Amino acid sequence: MHIFSQSFKYDHSWSHVVIGMWHKYPNPHCTHVVNVDVLDRTIDPVTGIIRTERVLGCKQKAPSWIVKLFGGSEDAFVREISFIDPATQIATITSINLSLSQFATCYERIQYRPMSSTQTSFTQTAEIQVRMAMWRSMTDKFEDWLVQRFEQNAISGKAGFSDVLRTMWEAKEQQTAPS
Amino acid sequence: MAHSLSAECTPLKHEYDACFNTWFEGYLEPAIANASTKGHSQDQRIEYSKLKKEEYDRKCGSIWAKYKDCVQKAVTERGLGELLSQARQENPLREPPPPDASGSS
Repeated sequence: MHIFSQSFKYDHSWSHVVIGMWHKYPNPHCTHVVNVDVLDRTIDPVTGIIRTERVLGCKQKAPSWIVKLFGGSEDAFVREISFIDPATQIATITSINLSLSQFATCYERIQYRPMSSTQTSFTQTAEIQVRMAMWRSMTDKFEDWLVQRFEQNAISGKAGFSDVLRTMWEAKEQQTAPS
Repeated sequence: MAHSLSAECTPLKHEYDACFNTWFEGYLEPAIANASTKGHSQDQRIEYSKLKKEEYDRKCGSIWAKYKDCVQKAVTERGLGELLSQARQENPLREPPPPDASGSS
């Protein structure tokens, strides 16, 4: 597993950053995000917390061998869940890849919190994990298949060569056989 | 505003996003002020949240229903339905996660 993290600050109030969150795309620096949809949204009437579930479609620049091996497409999708809590002034955004998630997961968490009335901190952590169990079962299957192929080829190779030897030598051996 | 997954839903999405954003911008600052004002009781805060939620439902509820329907279909057509339900099972994320310890001071 690989862990990535970074943090920095924006020179804007927390409310401006959080309002800006909904206007983040499209943006010329993130042209890979091509569509954004809200799938679910709830406003808790007691806590005032807003939970939003979105799906983001991106043009992925996956290495071509990944696309060939795993049959991915040019489009990759990410599920994003955000919580905005005005009482604690914490906004948390969690994103997890939907595409190719059977092979690897990228779990990203972003938090925006106020540092002062004009500054907001941004912290980001991401865990990237390849699903070893999946790889293992895949490599095991591949290995089994190779062994089977080898055994099969070995059997048919033996049968084939036996035939060749027989047709080559049978007649001669009969001729020269001591009578 | 970004496009929807399906071109058919994009006009609905834009209408819904505009409705939500207007509501949200009016909601946020007083909600923050409510929470940090000592004179405000918890009951007052809850009353505000409740009123604002009702306002949101009244103003954006019908466009949300139409947009949600459209997107739901698009999700199924794009073959994302199963991936999504699997993802929701693995990480429901129904509750806000605990504050990040390494966050701001």
